[in-house]
Amino acid sequence: MKNQIKNVMSAVFEMNPGDILDSDTSSTIESWDSLNHMNLIVALEEEFNIRFEDEEIVELTSFVKIEELISSKI
Amino acid sequence: MEVTYTEMLKLNSEFKKNAKSESYNVAVLSNIIINQFCPFLEYELQRAEVNAVVSSGNYDNIAQDSEVCKDQALIIVFWELCNIIDGLQYKANVMTPNETQALLDKVTSEIDFVFQNLKNSRQIIINKFSTLIFNHHFLRSNNFDLICKQLNAYLEKNAPQNTVLIDIDKIIAKTSIQKSVDFRNFYSSKALYSTDFYRTYAKYIKPVVFSILGKAKKAVIFDCDNTLWAGILGEDGELGIQMSSTTKKGVYFEEIQYLAKQLAKKGIVVGLNSKNNDHDVDKVLSTHSDIRLSDKDIAIKKVNWNDKVSNLTQIASQLNIGIDSIVFVDDSDFEVNLVKEYLPNVTALQVPKQLYLYPELIRDHFDVFYNIKETEDDQKRIDTYKTQSLRDDFKAEFVSIEDYLISLKLEMRIYIDDLQLIDRMSQLTHKTNQFNLTTKRYTVTEVDGFVNSNDYITFAFDVKDRFGAFGIVGTSFIEIINDIAFIDTFLMSCRVLGRNIEFSFLNEILKHLKEIGIVSVKALYVETNKNAQVSHFYERAGFDIEGKEGQQATYSLSLNNFTENKITYIKIAK
Repeated sequence: MKNQIKNVMSAVFEMNPGDILDSDTSSTIESWDSLNHMNLIVALEEEFNIRFEDEEIVELTSFVKIEELISSKI
Repeated sequence: MEVTYTEMLKLNSEFKKNAKSESYNVAVLSNIIINQFCPFLEYELQRAEVNAVVSSGNYDNIAQDSEVCKDQALIIVFWELCNIIDGLQYKANVMTPNETQALLDKVTSEIDFVFQNLKNSRQIIINKFSTLIFNHHFLRSNNFDLICKQLNAYLEKNAPQNTVLIDIDKIIAKTSIQKSVDFRNFYSSKALYSTDFYRTYAKYIKPVVFSILGKAKKAVIFDCDNTLWAGILGEDGELGIQMSSTTKKGVYFEEIQYLAKQLAKKGIVVGLNSKNNDHDVDKVLSTHSDIRLSDKDIAIKKVNWNDKVSNLTQIASQLNIGIDSIVFVDDSDFEVNLVKEYLPNVTALQVPKQLYLYPELIRDHFDVFYNIKETEDDQKRIDTYKTQSLRDDFKAEFVSIEDYLISLKLEMRIYIDDLQLIDRMSQLTHKTNQFNLTTKRYTVTEVDGFVNSNDYITFAFDVKDRFGAFGIVGTSFIEIINDIAFIDTFLMSCRVLGRNIEFSFLNEILKHLKEIGIVSVKALYVETNKNAQVSHFYERAGFDIEGKEGQQATYSLSLNNFTENKITYIKIAK
């Protein structure tokens, strides 16, 4: 699942999957702005066939948080 | 074949890295957030090899953005009613008439400003205003609808020449209202539409871009049997084919013919590519009581016994259009797959097995012909094409389709003096007119006589390929006198033409005759107005021509010299 998430992130942020670190957050990735954040949500929801709530979307600001939340939903 | 959002982003990235052609720049202006739309449009256009770069303007700044981006190749405007003032979808319905008028005045002057800026731009696409997403619940229309109507009327009245107005309600309907909108994102970030909506929208407006870039299709070429009418002309005859809305089978085809006429009226080339005798088809076109498509609608006809790939290639060449600007419609698995294999840039459409889906299929492909500059002159274009196509003075290009025939995995089974096939063999002698060497009709009793007689041998065959089985489709009756065989009857259904099966069948017959001690074989060809295509069959099969008298030709073959003419890609089962 880690790789799946990184694959999605790499597509949205236009990076190499290998360059995405477990420690990355919206502050450390330059192209992770509010518009791309929305795109990330859409992509993750489609990839894992889940739906995030409003409150959750705001919290998904790091790779670690994303991994945790998706694990809890599947 | 839909790709996921993630896959699409990656494909777009890849394309951009490798793009060599000049970029086609599209600016999307909006008063809501529509950024997610951009990659969808890039994807649709990139798949057609257009190096599209789609960018969004600033939020809620259509007027100002229209000044900045007016030189882009294409400008798309998403002007959402719900955000022309914040929350208009609920505020509109409690506004006074004065407040409403003030709002209309404000927006119409903004529209004027935008049109003024963009009137010299190359191409604009503007969505008509819509209330569907918010108002579909209500039986009655309300003030929000009224504002929408007024503004749309204003758009239609004042849109400059370079503008295409999109009925966004159609796209919402195609996507479904529920799936078009993402209320979660709308309230949090004013992003009204869903990715499903964007997908549909990008596909819907593609024809506009294709027309600008000269990629619109220019011709639609139809097969005839079971494509323009129900039935097979060569088997069912003029009276047996159906194309009238008053018959159960004809109803679909009447609509198809009208759709073809509609295309012809717009200046699209309509043509025929059919395995039939041309005079038979001409007779239907000019005299059949139910025919709606007429000669004046049809710019070019390839009605012959050649392969359909060569015909399409010649059509493109004669009309001086690219092979990639042709749409081809046929009911046969064989023909559609043949064209897909040899001419991948032709859009090959197969008539659906469920005929009630056929008119929908054609309507769905209408916009591939979309021409931004549809004018009266288009009818004149048809006339020029017609005169051009009459000049048949060039060398025919024929393509070898052997690879395709090999891929079909053809299998024949031969039946000799089979009692169970008497009815079918008799039926074939009555129905088969085109691939029929002597056109003798035999009753069931007569065929029974042949099967049970020592002086006759009857042969029949069935065939199957990777698409399905055809059943018994050919028969031959041989009369034996001492050690000489006379081919009294040799015929094959036109459903299995073009695969060299006839040569395989004849080969198996000759093999069998040699095995039983026959020394020489005589054959006869009797010309009719339907079987011209087999006039040289026996010669091509290696027989010697003995004599010709009027409409008859006689042939002979000595079996001493006979060597098998095996067609390797047709498997024989006994």
